[in-house]
Amino acid sequence: MSERSLGLVLLTTALLALLGPLVTGFIQKLKARLQCRQGAGVLQPYHDLVKLFRKGTVQADTTSGFFRSIPVLVLAATMAAGALVPVVRAGPPPVPLGDALMLLGLLALARFLTSVGALDAGGAFGGMGASREMTIAPLVEPVLMMVVFSAAVVAGTTELGALAAHRGTSWILGWHAPDFLGFAAMLVLLPAETGRIPVDNPDTHLELTMLHEGMLLEHSGPGLGCMVLASHTRQIVTLGLVSALFFPVAATGVGALGLLVGAGAFALKILVLAVYLALVESSYAKLRLFRVPLYLGIGFVCALTALALRIL
Amino acid sequence: MAGCYGAGALSSLLARWSGRLALGVGHVAALAGAVAGLGVSLSVLLGGPGYPLTLPLPDLFPFARLSLTVDGLSAYFVLVISVVAVAAAIYGPAYLRAHSPDARPPRQAAQALALNVFLGSMTFLCFAGDALTFLFCWEGMTLASYVLVVSDDQDGEKARAGLLYLVMAHAGTALLLVAFLALTERAGAFDFGALRAAAAGLDPTTRTTLFFLALGGFATKAGVVPLHVWLPRAHPAAPSHISALMSGVMLKVAVYGMLRVGFDLLAPAGGPLPPSWGWTVLILGTTSAVLGVLYALQQHDLKRLLAFHSVENIGIILIGVGLAMILWQTEGPGGVLATVALTAALLHTVNHAAFKGLLFLGAGSVLCRTHVANIEELGGLARRMPWTAGLFLLGAIAISALPPLNGFVSEWLTFQVLLGGAARFHGPAGLGIVFSAAMLALTGGLAAACFAKAFGVTFLGRARTPHAERATEAPPSMIAGMMWLAVVCVVLGVAPGYAMRLLDAPTALLLHGPGASAVVTARGPLVLSAGLTPSGSSATAISMTVAAALLVALTAIAWVLRRGVGRAPRRVAPTWTCGMRPTARFDYTATAFAKPLRLVFAALYRPRREVIRETAGTPYVVRRIRYAGEIVDLSETQIYHRVERGISELSQAIRARSTGRIYGYIGFVFGALFVALLWYGVGP
Repeated sequence: MSERSLGLVLLTTALLALLGPLVTGFIQKLKARLQCRQGAGVLQPYHDLVKLFRKGTVQADTTSGFFRSIPVLVLAATMAAGALVPVVRAGPPPVPLGDALMLLGLLALARFLTSVGALDAGGAFGGMGASREMTIAPLVEPVLMMVVFSAAVVAGTTELGALAAHRGTSWILGWHAPDFLGFAAMLVLLPAETGRIPVDNPDTHLELTMLHEGMLLEHSGPGLGCMVLASHTRQIVTLGLVSALFFPVAATGVGALGLLVGAGAFALKILVLAVYLALVESSYAKLRLFRVPLYLGIGFVCALTALALRIL
Repeated sequence: MAGCYGAGALSSLLARWSGRLALGVGHVAALAGAVAGLGVSLSVLLGGPGYPLTLPLPDLFPFARLSLTVDGLSAYFVLVISVVAVAAAIYGPAYLRAHSPDARPPRQAAQALALNVFLGSMTFLCFAGDALTFLFCWEGMTLASYVLVVSDDQDGEKARAGLLYLVMAHAGTALLLVAFLALTERAGAFDFGALRAAAAGLDPTTRTTLFFLALGGFATKAGVVPLHVWLPRAHPAAPSHISALMSGVMLKVAVYGMLRVGFDLLAPAGGPLPPSWGWTVLILGTTSAVLGVLYALQQHDLKRLLAFHSVENIGIILIGVGLAMILWQTEGPGGVLATVALTAALLHTVNHAAFKGLLFLGAGSVLCRTHVANIEELGGLARRMPWTAGLFLLGAIAISALPPLNGFVSEWLTFQVLLGGAARFHGPAGLGIVFSAAMLALTGGLAAACFAKAFGVTFLGRARTPHAERATEAPPSMIAGMMWLAVVCVVLGVAPGYAMRLLDAPTALLLHGPGASAVVTARGPLVLSAGLTPSGSSATAISMTVAAALLVALTAIAWVLRRGVGRAPRRVAPTWTCGMRPTARFDYTATAFAKPLRLVFAALYRPRREVIRETAGTPYVVRRIRYAGEIVDLSETQIYHRVERGISELSQAIRARSTGRIYGYIGFVFGALFVALLWYGVGP
């Protein structure tokens, strides 16, 4: 089995962190066009980040010593999760690093720390956001894990690179019924995991609708910049996870040309999923919080059926 | 080791002169005993062959020869006991002084005595070489922990908790007695070797009945749902370092009993275990894991919440044990997957001991500085007790099974086995295992939610009451006790491969197969791998060490980013509360935090809420509002209350018959004797 070298892993990690804002910018632009607006440029998230990193910090007077380190740890955990995604080539890295469970664990760590940080400032908004986020998360994670399992049962491994290699390049022609069901479950979960409509609304701080944004309210300046960059990264990592599980990744990209082809293919896959997110966001309304478990239930049923079909 | 615990127990005599002296000497003796236990168990686990070693004890009874046996399994559990005992012994004296400064010498003497008896009987229970020693130590452990549970305060609630504990524990002991006596009667001797020989000739039905009897006894002690009702009451009632020992260690002794009986004493020679054993344990484990964490989520007493998490973690351990039972000798040559399953269970045993001990000690620091157990009345402690807060956060991350700490490692292994088992079995059995995996994933997510709540509401935000406002950092010796367990958590998380060598002896002993390190760390001590396919060709491999290093490196990069570009000003301002003056009333409470999940799982909780408004003339001016809410424990209302009603109805009926005159009772006794003699006396 071909392997991803360590340098490639580090390079793609940096690439994911750098391209994360671009995906958000693209989705925003597409949404604006779908709503017949001009919209901000695709590069707007980068401008926002640069501005945030230049600004000063206003910190709440009730916060503890943990508060300042929360954005750092959240960003680090999210980027570490990015290192586990096979981007341009399939195959396990030469030094075992982590598998899909580790990836989900690191994302959960980032979420746990974010919600702890939200409780630190002692405002009702932070607590509300944290409470809702920690309500949705335990319902999303088992379903995500089951989707991963439904792929892993066949491949005999939970390492993402090896899973992608096992998927091969024939893509949809090689799909069985469980693949379709698993993909359907993943499409249901994607908005929840990336914090988008119909589960969360990334564009608002209104207390009735927010989940993730509520937790960021008390962060400011570079700290907020880290948190925003982390949520961009989280989005592209989640999309990368989906494409590693369900789309083909070239197993034998050789030389510079192979890498270029792999990078191009990755960009295309992310683009497709981003278009999906933008379409869903423009055509649905946000669900009431207590409707969300029902919505996630659809994903659960799909994932369970996919897994059952694999095993039976 | 015996000498140390014995000396510790005797130290209570010093209380005649000074209670503090008795406590001090008692804890130093316990520390010495625990260090000796560490030494002995490590030398056995790393020392290679030469075991099992049997030491005869002096003959106390004419009918039984008592002995101690040291083998891989018992040494491993003594290691777990000793790790937490070291922390508890360092932490204890300062805690007891700070928590109840006006305790009188007799009470301190009783605590010193009971602590040493407790630790000693747990240690020698693991080393027991015969059924009689085992049961003696079991009883000593129960009674000593009962004394510790009721020793803390003169409080009716705690006395009731202690009574419930005593009743449940003895019901469990009764089951164990029946199981062991049935075996000893067949063997004609008490030592384990003879029992093993006697068990080899059992027919399958008897064997399974005996196993379930023993399982019932051990499950009561381990707090498995639905036998857990005593646990969340008794554990919080004890002094905190004792809670750490009870939750972190005493429950594990029950797991030791299950492993000893299931894999060693009762296991059929050369064949797989009956399928009903493993499946029962797996189902019990899954149920305990999910229900434990769901009930923990709605608790607002910090120690009670932690006690419910013990139910959850015992469930996770039992998932591993159950899988090992199912897979052992059913999976064909190699038997690799059962080894991984048992490794996961044993690793989670020590992991849970470390992080649960740490969390209970942290909760104890909060308790002794604020004297408030309800987290709604705390808040803002992170600025007043930074060390305690940091260590508690570490424990919270570990118990939520988040990388890079130790909880993640053992849950990762459990997931790998669940997945491998599902792929191996196919059909409904595979589906059951997969469902168990989904439940385990749910458990992890809910645990994270619960600890975000517990940590956030206790340590962050503003202080809600003067108790929390006046809190100061815990004394250094208490911090040191916690620090020891935190180091264990980090080491087991970042370099778990080195701990696998310690698991070699117990796994090889129980499964008669390859040791843990030969399977899990086949690719070097820094890489964990678990093969899912029968050939093990495409094994999943992760390296906690490399992942942790990556995390540290990325943290350094992010830290540079966090400093920002240029030297922008930093100022401090009040939290934004829509223009109002922020007070502690704005902080999100634990009840509010857990409310969405309470509603999502309403079918299980059956929540009851009561809101009383006092208005001034018009409904828009609310003068006063009173809120009360509670949830029920389903097993409590559905099983225990019914049993309770049955018993009280029966006793009412008996009371109606009893006249109160002594002749009547003598008549009853004679009548019963007569019938018994008629029944059994007329034999061949």
